[in-house]
Amino acid sequence: MIEVVDLVKHYRASDGSVVRAVDGVSLQVAPGEMVGLLGANGAGKTTTLRVLATLLKPTAGTARVAGCDVTVDPLGARRQLGYVSATTGVPDRLTAREIMRSYGRLHGMREPEIARRIAELIAALDLRDFADRPAGRLSSGQRQRVSLARALVHDPPALVLDEPTNALDVVGARDLLGLLDGLRGEGRAILLSTHRLHEIERRCDRFVIIHGGRVVAQGTAAEVVGGRSGLDEAFFAAIGAGAVP
Amino acid sequence: MNVPQADRFDASPWAAAVGSVLAVAMFQIRRLLSWQRLLLAGLGVVFPAAVMMAVRRTARTGLDDDLAVLMLYALVPEAVCMLGLLVTMCPAVADELERGTWVHVAVRPGGRRALLLGTYLAAVAWTGAVALLAAFLALAIMQVPQPLHLAGIFAGLVALSTLGRAALFSLPAVIMPKRALVASVAAALVVEYLAGFLPAVVNQATVSLRLRSLLVAWMQWRQRLPPEMQMLVDPQPPWVQIAAVAVLSVVLVTVAAVILEFRQFPPSDEI
Repeated sequence: MIEVVDLVKHYRASDGSVVRAVDGVSLQVAPGEMVGLLGANGAGKTTTLRVLATLLKPTAGTARVAGCDVTVDPLGARRQLGYVSATTGVPDRLTAREIMRSYGRLHGMREPEIARRIAELIAALDLRDFADRPAGRLSSGQRQRVSLARALVHDPPALVLDEPTNALDVVGARDLLGLLDGLRGEGRAILLSTHRLHEIERRCDRFVIIHGGRVVAQGTAAEVVGGRSGLDEAFFAAIGAGAVP
Repeated sequence: MNVPQADRFDASPWAAAVGSVLAVAMFQIRRLLSWQRLLLAGLGVVFPAAVMMAVRRTARTGLDDDLAVLMLYALVPEAVCMLGLLVTMCPAVADELERGTWVHVAVRPGGRRALLLGTYLAAVAWTGAVALLAAFLALAIMQVPQPLHLAGIFAGLVALSTLGRAALFSLPAVIMPKRALVASVAAALVVEYLAGFLPAVVNQATVSLRLRSLLVAWMQWRQRLPPEMQMLVDPQPPWVQIAAVAVLSVVLVTVAAVILEFRQFPPSDEI
């Protein structure tokens, strides 16, 4: 469903030097699977996710969403993908309902379908209490739910989430990850990047650890952790940051 | 995920594209409906009328009608339209690009184009409405002959001014969103008020030359213009001036849309 093969993305920095943000990353996410993309700041997580979301063009390699190559068929890829970022970018003046309607129109959805989908999402994501309140008056957790609803309004089979729990407290993060469990159960492919390893250790089916733009470890929790005490330790070992104190 | 695709999405790509643009336009209009923005719009409506009243009271021998029209031209299609578009077109696009809403629009099919065109539409509609009300209010209190004829002239000038200037401001908004307002003010000064007044080929690509020429043609002032002022207007007929603004607007918005389509936004912590 989500497939990245030998992905390379180079930037030219302001001093003229070439930055290899992503340098040969490969990963796959199958339908009904949730994969955690782990890495320190600057490891290449966001660049990888932005290439999948068609916000950046790859320097080399391929990235596909539901069979649509993001370079050859970016419109097809956009139709199949929902994208959630750490900064929700939810407009303050609009209500959750209005936001979902606007983004449904951006997808060219018909009005009856938008109305049906909004009702579905309000129930599924438990937005009932604040669906008609301007987003500027919502808590961080509520705003992230609205952001997730916006990403799901066109019912995409694949979801990419870039550090969605960053601004959330423990309860908000748990609730959001619970919602993602449900979405995986519906058969969606979910690729999720985060720093909060303990939150996703038991939720993701597989993990991909990247460092310096390269994949340094990947597999199920058991495969990545191996003989170590947990995902934290396995992560630090994989990126060569020494043992957990 | 069980509803057939054909029942969910607009059959025509044109209907989908228009729907997307209107969705962004409605969103931008909604953003403009704050009391601060409405207060600013109210000031824009009242300001030209207040200036005209003050001038009329100050002028001892009464204000010449032609001079009054010229003043109203400077106040409405120039000042009100320019200032209105500076606060609606440019920062709106730049905000989207900088504040994070942008990425969520850009990951939708046709989202980038809709962002630009929808914002353009909202800026033109909002500023145009403010400028039209300002012109009509000023004309109502100016006691000039043929107020309806003048209202028609100013409606045309306002429409062309907003369409052309909003297109001009779309470029700095997509090229340098972090400095969009400064770049737009610079563009207004350099392109519209420096190049626009140079009697050279370069002024042909400015909205200000076209508006001045239309005002002179529609007010039938051409024969009365002093020779040194003749070179500041274009002698071609009004339809040429209107077509020139239309072509200029389409070219500028298209260039901005193409730039936006190919623009990439790398995460700052990975560069």
